[in-house]
Parts: sequence; structure tokens; C-alpha cells
Amino acid sequence: MSSQVHPFVLRAPIAGLLTWLVPGLGHIYLGQRARGLVLLVTITVTFWTGVAIGGVRDTVDPHKRRLWFTAQVCTGGYTLTAYALHRRLDRAGNPTPVTHWSAADIGVHYTGVAGLLNLLVVFDAVGRADSSAPTRRRKGRAAEGAP
Amino acid sequence: MTGMLMTLFVTGIELTGIQRFLLMPPLCLCIAIVYKTTRCENLRDVPVAAVILWATIVIGMYAVGLGLWALFTIMV
Repeated sequence: MSSQVHPFVLRAPIAGLLTWLVPGLGHIYLGQRARGLVLLVTITVTFWTGVAIGGVRDTVDPHKRRLWFTAQVCTGGYTLTAYALHRRLDRAGNPTPVTHWSAADIGVHYTGVAGLLNLLVVFDAVGRADSSAPTRRRKGRAAEGAP
Repeated sequence: MTGMLMTLFVTGIELTGIQRFLLMPPLCLCIAIVYKTTRCENLRDVPVAAVILWATIVIGMYAVGLGLWALFTIMV
């Protein structure tokens, strides 16, 4: 039995992980640059607009908004960056003004929806990696003259 | 520049009345673009499909909101 892992086996998990870290990166990795860039720009703008509306302290908060944080964390790289900023501000004792509840709620909705959209994009990237692998293998075999 | 960025993301903005409603269409547009980008095989089809989906979501959401508001007004 060969111990070498077929490169196509790793395509799906790598694409999923890259998309979780940075939206659209998995599609770019799979060679779908235009699609990846559209997803990257759209989800990035949605997430960081949410943070700008609500302020990082009131928007990305796993203690006060646990369920929303679960949705936000689907945009892994951005949420971890925002949470690191949140923690840094807390540790520095930086007194930021409390955001009005409606702005904080809208910011949470924007970031939460960005996370859920990225979950959809992760599944799409994994699905595209899976569906492209057998096709390429078949094409490869056909080129070699196999039935 | 860094200070301006910090201020932008650290301090939330003040929103009043109609501004809260105006922030829904851009969010719906993002949802429509991402959904249609994953569904359409040809990227050239995305703009039209996304605009149609966006209009459907926005009109539907405002209609539901108006309906609930009317119901609430009648019942209270």
C-alpha cells in the first residue's frame, strides 16, 4: 500500500481551511480567481463594516454575545483579528465610549451574517475541490488512453 | 493613518431613526452577491441574478416589516 497521499485528497481540506482563514482564498487556491476575489471583497467589506458600525468591543464579544460569536467565528481570520484587538483594548484599560445599542446590534448582525456567508463559501470551496478531483483524474486517465 | 483606523474600528457610530433602516439594503446586497457567486457557474450571470435576488429580499423584508407593524398597531 502506498503511503503517499494523493494531492487531490488534500485539495478539499486545504481549500476549506484557506476559505475559513480568509474568505475567497480557497477559490483562488482552486484556480477560480475571479470568483474568489468577488467573495473576498464582499465578505471583507461586510465584516469590517459591521465592526466599524458597532465598534470592536461591542461587536466581537464571546462573553456577551456567545451565539453571535459562533456565527462570527466562521470568518476565522477576521474574527480572531478583531477579538485580538478587543482583548488588547481591554488589557490596556482603554476607556472607549459605549456604543448605542442599535449601532452595536447592527454591527453584530453585519459580522454574524458575514460569518454565516463565509460558512456557505467554505462548503462551496470544499464541494468544488471534491467535484474537480475525479474529473481531472478521469481526464488524466483518458489522456493516457485508459478506457 | 493608524490612529484614524483605530478610531474607525474602536468607536461605534451614532445611528438614528431612518439610518437603521437604510443599513439593511447593503447587507441584503452582500448576501445576494455571495449566494449568487456560489450558485452561478458563469460569473457573467452574477450581477443580474444578484440584483434580482437583492430586490426580492429587500421588498420581501420591508413588506413583512410593514405587515407586522400594521398588525401591532391594530392590536395595541
